[in-house]
Amino acid sequence: MPAEDELDPVIHAPVRLRVLVTLATLRDGDDLSFTRLQELLGLTPGNLITHLRKLEDAGYVTTAKEGSGVTSRTSVSISQQGRKALDNYTAILRQLLDSASANGTSPH
Amino acid sequence: MEQDQDMSAQEAASVMQDARARARKELVISAPVVYAAWGLVWLIGYGGMWLSVREQHPYRAPSGVSMAALFVLAAFAVAAVIAVVHRRTEGIGGQSARDRRFILATWATGYLILLVVQATISHSVGARAYAFLDFAGPLLLAGLVYVLAFVLGRHRSAFALGSWLIIVGASCAWLAPATILATCALAGGGAFLLIAVIETRLAAHAG
Repeated sequence: MPAEDELDPVIHAPVRLRVLVTLATLRDGDDLSFTRLQELLGLTPGNLITHLRKLEDAGYVTTAKEGSGVTSRTSVSISQQGRKALDNYTAILRQLLDSASANGTSPH
Repeated sequence: MEQDQDMSAQEAASVMQDARARARKELVISAPVVYAAWGLVWLIGYGGMWLSVREQHPYRAPSGVSMAALFVLAAFAVAAVIAVVHRRTEGIGGQSARDRRFILATWATGYLILLVVQATISHSVGARAYAFLDFAGPLLLAGLVYVLAFVLGRHRSAFALGSWLIIVGASCAWLAPATILATCALAGGGAFLLIAVIETRLAAHAG
């Protein structure tokens, strides 16, 4: 768990940030197929799986597999904890950008 | 493979902005396109039928050409809406998919009931009552479906549009057939187009 004024390291990576923001666009109770998410983000299956695993371990996303064989469908959805973490990340990011803007420095 | 990268806050903000814009463009149904498609059907389709009956004394029925034009317009609108909805909702499952199926089933059932009622009473009611069912019935049904869509948590403007369509449709009960057509075209189609413009501006304002 990151400190209250630190950017969450689980989210603070380009791919995982894009995954969470994309899933957060969906309504509560919705999920997105793995293949559509992969297509939207332009990632290889292996790359996406690696990042989804980290997000899932943190409790930010859930994955579910329905069916079997060629008709199987893997879906991904953002959890309530994930939405909360993304909101918190966004708030801290805004604070960092605002304070850097006020100080005339480049935020890192 | 893209590894975890050290991002600055500015880079992170840029990644978020791009990802949000892309996701909205690809995954959110464009309500203005849907509203505009139906607005044009009502305005041009019903407007054409009104033009064909406004000189009829007594009223008989809209011309075959104007009714054919309405069906062609409606077919194009249905195709456009299906294309937009299918493209934007591909891969999305869960509550939204269940809501869409429920709304579609309600619309189809309502329209079927309307057609059965029209066929049943066509010989037992006057031209005025039949015109009300025939012309304003679909508008009332559309209004009810939009209110239902709002209840299911969809577009914020659905309640306003649905309520207005119900008011306009119900008020047609007191109007003559030609006036019903003009009212549905202007107050119904106009409302769809107005909501399309408002939704477009709100979306642009929200970034």
